[in-house]
Amino acid sequence: MKTVREGLIILAISVVSGAVAFFVHPKAPSFSAGDLELELYQVDELGPVFWVDARADEDFESGHLDGAISLNVERWEELLLGFLDSWPPDATVVIYCSSQACLRSHEVAERLEDELGVEEIYVLKGGWKRLLEAGRVSGGSR
Amino acid sequence: MKWIGRIAEGLVGVVFFWAGFLKLLDPQAFVSSILTYEVFSYQVAVVCVLVVPYLEIVTGVCLALGVLKSGSRLMAFGMLVVFILLLAQAAIRGLDADCGCFGERSGAESGYAWPIARDALMLVGLAVGLVFERLTRDTETE
Repeated sequence: MKTVREGLIILAISVVSGAVAFFVHPKAPSFSAGDLELELYQVDELGPVFWVDARADEDFESGHLDGAISLNVERWEELLLGFLDSWPPDATVVIYCSSQACLRSHEVAERLEDELGVEEIYVLKGGWKRLLEAGRVSGGSR
Repeated sequence: MKWIGRIAEGLVGVVFFWAGFLKLLDPQAFVSSILTYEVFSYQVAVVCVLVVPYLEIVTGVCLALGVLKSGSRLMAFGMLVVFILLLAQAAIRGLDADCGCFGERSGAESGYAWPIARDALMLVGLAVGLVFERLTRDTETE
């Protein structure tokens, strides 16, 4: 019992510290970013979709989804103009990056929401890797 | 004799503390690392990122200082077993998972053998601490 009690004390201290960090850590991840994720079949049910590629420039240049435009965090200011020029406001924006573990697409989605007020915006779960598996794209780099 | 066990546990504690501290520096990178294991959803990964570094730090400090000793051993043992299982399933599934063990990218580059061996070595450290403490206690009792 002593072992379990001490283990619970350690766990409680860690959980409280983590909860505090969630509010005060400048780089704390947000829970809401995960709500933006859609599976590929869900994206297919959306209707007109405007695809955004959040990967690095070299990845975009080596291959991308037809019709997708590049918008990444490294060249945000430059590429945002291209996004504004080509985005049809009635289309839903879907962003992809390299894989499920890549969080660039979440960051781009949050910035588009915050800075432009884009409401219909999602992130493709699995990203480029999922598109490859589904045969929607071929080659390119992750 | 007792000091051999204390040194072994102290070293394990220091490694835990250091690993937790490095993870705190870049929580976003740690979220990304956890997602590469393809086991947890985004939200669960965020919870892990908020709690695991503190769990490692508190456990590490307790092990190194010898406070809440049996509880910290339990938590360290539990974490090491979970880490080994996560790495092993990634290796078996052929995933390009990022260890994330010390915050930055490390696992995918060096493979899974070293991170698993390191965790196993830490388990041995815990066992040495426990065994030498019991041996010392038995000797004192006699």
